[in-house]
Amino acid sequence: MAKVLMKGNEAIGEAAIRAGCLNYFAYPITPQSEVAEYLVKRMPEVNGVFLQGESEVAVGYMIFGAAACGERVMTTSSSPGVSLMSEAISYIAGARCPAVFVNIVRGGPGLGGILPSQGDYFQATKGGGHGDYHLLVMAPDGVQEAVEMTMMAFPLAEKYRGPVMILGDGLIGQMMEPVEFPDNLYVPPTNKDDWATNGMDRRGSTKKNIVKSLYLDPKVLNQNNLTLKAQYDQMKREEIRFEAYNTDGDYQALIVSYGTMSRVCKTAIDNMKAQGLEIGMIRPKTLFPFPEKAIHDAAAKESCKKVVSIEMSMGQMIEDVERSLKGKREVTWFGQCGGDIYTPEEVAEHVMSLIAS
Amino acid sequence: MTNKFDKLPEISLNGIVIICGNYGSGKTETSVNLAFNRKQAGLDVAIADLDLVNPYFRTREARDALRDCGINVVLPEAKYMQADLPILAREVSGAIRNPPDLLILDAGGDDVGVTVLAALGDAFAGRKITMIQVINPFRPFTDSVKGCLKIMEEIEYTSKLKITGLVSNSNLMELTSPDDIYRGYELIQEVSMQSGREVKFITADVKFLPLLDMSRFEVPVLPIQRRLLPPWKSSCQLSKIKN
Repeated sequence: MAKVLMKGNEAIGEAAIRAGCLNYFAYPITPQSEVAEYLVKRMPEVNGVFLQGESEVAVGYMIFGAAACGERVMTTSSSPGVSLMSEAISYIAGARCPAVFVNIVRGGPGLGGILPSQGDYFQATKGGGHGDYHLLVMAPDGVQEAVEMTMMAFPLAEKYRGPVMILGDGLIGQMMEPVEFPDNLYVPPTNKDDWATNGMDRRGSTKKNIVKSLYLDPKVLNQNNLTLKAQYDQMKREEIRFEAYNTDGDYQALIVSYGTMSRVCKTAIDNMKAQGLEIGMIRPKTLFPFPEKAIHDAAAKESCKKVVSIEMSMGQMIEDVERSLKGKREVTWFGQCGGDIYTPEEVAEHVMSLIAS
Repeated sequence: MTNKFDKLPEISLNGIVIICGNYGSGKTETSVNLAFNRKQAGLDVAIADLDLVNPYFRTREARDALRDCGINVVLPEAKYMQADLPILAREVSGAIRNPPDLLILDAGGDDVGVTVLAALGDAFAGRKITMIQVINPFRPFTDSVKGCLKIMEEIEYTSKLKITGLVSNSNLMELTSPDDIYRGYELIQEVSMQSGREVKFITADVKFLPLLDMSRFEVPVLPIQRRLLPPWKSSCQLSKIKN
């Protein structure tokens, strides 16, 4: 298919359809409402279902229901809406059901604002809901990557039988870029008959499948948590994705940045390079699992004097960067979280002042 | 280039011009560039942001540059600028009743975005209005004549106004080629033929002007300088635009 010009939100909707997701439940909230506006037109064309829930709480459990049946299912929301869904996300993780959640992040806390933010990093990577669970979190830096990550999210959710989150700041949802939908990212569903409540007659089985997150026997509950932990450990071995930018030669400082912010940092790095100053960057594409080793190794380069975490949040990802550096290097934070995004000039100015200090 | 440019027919819009179209068809880039272009041609120009449905990438993003060029920008009060609320500035109906040489009303996307126009029905009563549908063939739902006609029908139904003109804004951002602009022109001619609406002009990024065979177009070409850019790209030097 030829390239088309799409908003991130629309492209995420189309990517879900291309990934075989025919179940989409959501509740409108800026800045992601265009996903629903797009899918309300597209879903009927592919015999899919879009249902607007009465709230995000309801939507969370609609997702649980469809996921428990082994169907590919997605919701999209923005920060306050994801907070409301967090209970269901924990239940879905505990019950080991695959589902895709998209958070097009706006400013917080509380109602915050409607402009782009990365303030939900902790919520996405450290829980949000209760209990020992993680989401596999992918953070696109543009519309094409949002398409690819959305298409990858469904098979990954099935591989690990758990919720996967696409975390994009508001700009990722709102901006337009030319995109294409790679057919080769479509992966047919597998193994759902082993566990999903999709009907004994339908799957021709006498085995009852039960989906639940309640385990009153402490040993059984512990075993469920050990199973989850083993899966998160496997994610750390197999799913870490990142981009290294301008790290082949020597560089005086290392930036760690993701999403929209990393695009600004790239322009800043290019501009500084033109002036003879080399700066490297590691851009995590997965926020959980986090590219700890890549950051550790990039920071260990002899020429690298400073490490800085540049975020559209008040210093959240920096904690994972610190952990990655294992106390061997200091990392500083540079960021803001009101909705304004630093310009490439502001980033360059900050990095140059860091090197000079 | 200058010679080719001189041969182009002039855009002859005046009075009240409403810019509508599907989501992301390029209404705001078209409106803003049209405002600059007509101002340069010596018209007294005002532009009003009626996009109440999308809080990102709206006319208000270009307000300072527009005002610096002497274009009257009608917007909600500054304190509501980032509000996710459907606020229509009260000055809009005043501007419709006493329009300058050219009043551009930049509406929101799809049928939803033009709902506000029906609410301005009293102000529009008895006035000649040019309502333009902007079409980008690279956008979902408007890559075919059928899709364009469907949106036209939906917009007319919701706004209670008749679309009287068409604009092709063929844009695939940095991947756009002259062929894409020809393709957009062919599509809009077909839409024009089937709907009986006139093609008012087409757009082309300024960088394509030397590359385009202008003899292929029977309508004016509005040069576009992109002003609504993501934060990692620099906007064109607005201060360099001459009055």
